[in-house]
Amino acid sequence: MKLVRRTALAMVASIAASATLLSGGIANADMPAPLDNPGDVKIALVRYLSTGDFFQAYLSGVEQQAEALGVDLRVFDSRQDAALQADMVDQAIALGVDGIVIQHGLTESMKEAAQRAVDAGIKVVAFDVNVENEAIPQIEQSDYLLGKLALDQAIEDNGTEWKAGYVYVPGIAPLDRRHVAWEEVKEANPGIEEVAQMGTLDNPIANSNANQARSVLQANPDITVFFAPYDEFAKGVKIAVDEAGLSSDISIYSADVSTADISAMREPGSAWKATVATNPAVVGEVSVRALAIMLTGGDPGAQVIVPPTLITQGFLNENDIKNMEDLSANMPQFAHADVAMTDWMPLPPR
Amino acid sequence: MSVDSTPDQTTGDGSATDALPQRRRATLVDHAIRYGFLGLLLGLIVFFSIFASGFAGPRSAVFIFQSVAITGILALGVTCTLVVGGFDLSIGSVATSSMMLAAYMMVILEQSAFVTILACLAMGAFIGLVNGLLIVKTKVPDLLATLGMMFLLVGLQRIPTEGRSIATGMTLPDGSTAEGTFSPFFLAMGRHRIDLVLENLIPVSVIFLIVIGILVWIFLEMTRHGRLMYAIGSNERAASLTGTNVNKYKIMAYMISGTLASVGGMLLAARLGRGDIASGTNLLLDAVAAALIGFAVLGAAKPNAFGTAMGALFVGILLQGLTMMNAPYYTQDFIKGLVLVIALVFTFSLSARKTGSH
Repeated sequence: MKLVRRTALAMVASIAASATLLSGGIANADMPAPLDNPGDVKIALVRYLSTGDFFQAYLSGVEQQAEALGVDLRVFDSRQDAALQADMVDQAIALGVDGIVIQHGLTESMKEAAQRAVDAGIKVVAFDVNVENEAIPQIEQSDYLLGKLALDQAIEDNGTEWKAGYVYVPGIAPLDRRHVAWEEVKEANPGIEEVAQMGTLDNPIANSNANQARSVLQANPDITVFFAPYDEFAKGVKIAVDEAGLSSDISIYSADVSTADISAMREPGSAWKATVATNPAVVGEVSVRALAIMLTGGDPGAQVIVPPTLITQGFLNENDIKNMEDLSANMPQFAHADVAMTDWMPLPPR
Repeated sequence: MSVDSTPDQTTGDGSATDALPQRRRATLVDHAIRYGFLGLLLGLIVFFSIFASGFAGPRSAVFIFQSVAITGILALGVTCTLVVGGFDLSIGSVATSSMMLAAYMMVILEQSAFVTILACLAMGAFIGLVNGLLIVKTKVPDLLATLGMMFLLVGLQRIPTEGRSIATGMTLPDGSTAEGTFSPFFLAMGRHRIDLVLENLIPVSVIFLIVIGILVWIFLEMTRHGRLMYAIGSNERAASLTGTNVNKYKIMAYMISGTLASVGGMLLAARLGRGDIASGTNLLLDAVAAALIGFAVLGAAKPNAFGTAMGALFVGILLQGLTMMNAPYYTQDFIKGLVLVIALVFTFSLSARKTGSH
């Protein structure tokens, strides 16, 4: 019953939202062509990855910015099928869209499809996939900076002499870029010693990594810092640290954030000291804004980088932050990134 | 068992002079097959104790058990379906659905741990019932029916939250915030430790594994129902002609499997403290591997509860030992596969031998 009422409420809310939107769209008649008539502009989001909180939040960002602009958004979801994703670009071309956001994918499979879209006169932006095309700007969350900021905080908290456990799965592009930061920090600080490396993407990821981290902690009781540059990894390490009763002896530094992560970081005596994150919803908004700029004949630049934000346990506790909404409210740089902006750009309501 | 009687038969058939060395050889091979796998397990423990620092000791023994508790429980469920000649591909997704349901009940509907546990068990049993009915009544082959159920559940578990994980404080689709929390009693299932000699030694999940293991073992080996299930597995028609209600037992096997998978899912939820979006494919694969490795233990050449538990333990010891030695994840997958292949060779060369000698 409760559920039915919720669904009904949600529907009413979304109808109300779209009503305000419609009026918003009309109010934005001062946007440059072709966005002066946004209802006629069709854009497509072609996704490779979609499962999980990050991708869900990214999608909501894309949807909200598209709503704010008043354009017609179509979502194509290939669910990790590289060939299907390329076909979906062709489908979008056939549908006569004006712009395409490519979200993730493989260079090999997307390069030609993206070129076909450009040849068809469609504006294209790509998020986190390099399609090797000069006409296509890259939207990126800087994974390198994500790793770097977390490690800077680790050094600030623990000095430059510690034994570290490291969680890494090679071959995953964002993790590889975060890995570069780790290599650099180790190079620059000979006192930091990596005594153990672990990591797996077996799902549920947190559970599998908890099992591994237990072994690592047992084999290397001298570890004081864990660098786990992905929140699922950090969650796993935290479970293991708690189970081993070492919460006060070990500090965990990670990347990415979610509501569940916030509560894990804020547990009394939590070993999870800091994380660095870009708000995936903001990345989604930036992707659509960059595309909008291109549709109006502007140039967002070859690379649009959404800067990451450092989130420490102390900050969360001081401001009593309970979820992602609180975080956005207390951290303006997390709620909105001032990239791919123009003076006419409408922003989603907050 | 027929394994023991095989050499005697050979002696009876051959002349006395030939038979003696042949018999000794046969006994040796029998012993190798019967105890080979347990010997290998022991060898592994010795190897890791020497080469992986921190491996030997009660605490690491306990967390090896803990690391296999969830897959072990799932594997015991799969064993029950294997016994009746079936297969349950849906256990991994039943477990993750049960995890999501547990989180949904407590965090969003703000129910008590008791209601949550009942709901999860009921869901597991119900899915098992549907699986069983699909297979028995609509005659869909077991692999296909449970495969369909797997996809269905992977999708279904995401619908209520629009594909997001469930955690306290999350924003619901209607914009409000989820205020419920995991009950401490529920969390204790995955986190509490019981003092045994050492303080805080044995996690509750390990006790679940051991108790469920013993129960399934007693059920399959000691009771009439268990034996009838084995009879169905080896010859369904014969079992049916002797008056066994084949359909009832088959449905029961899937219900046991579904219920155990939901227990596994609850333990997972209790350990993670949230409802995590996951397909459960890895849980399924690890559980199936444990059950198949179990065929080789004690030369059983058939699904059995003790073997399954040993199989799960074997994989657990290997993975934890390798992690301690800093082996990357792909070597672990490789080794897991290698063990499975060796175990299968054990099993099937053994059954070939058996049929060959008769």
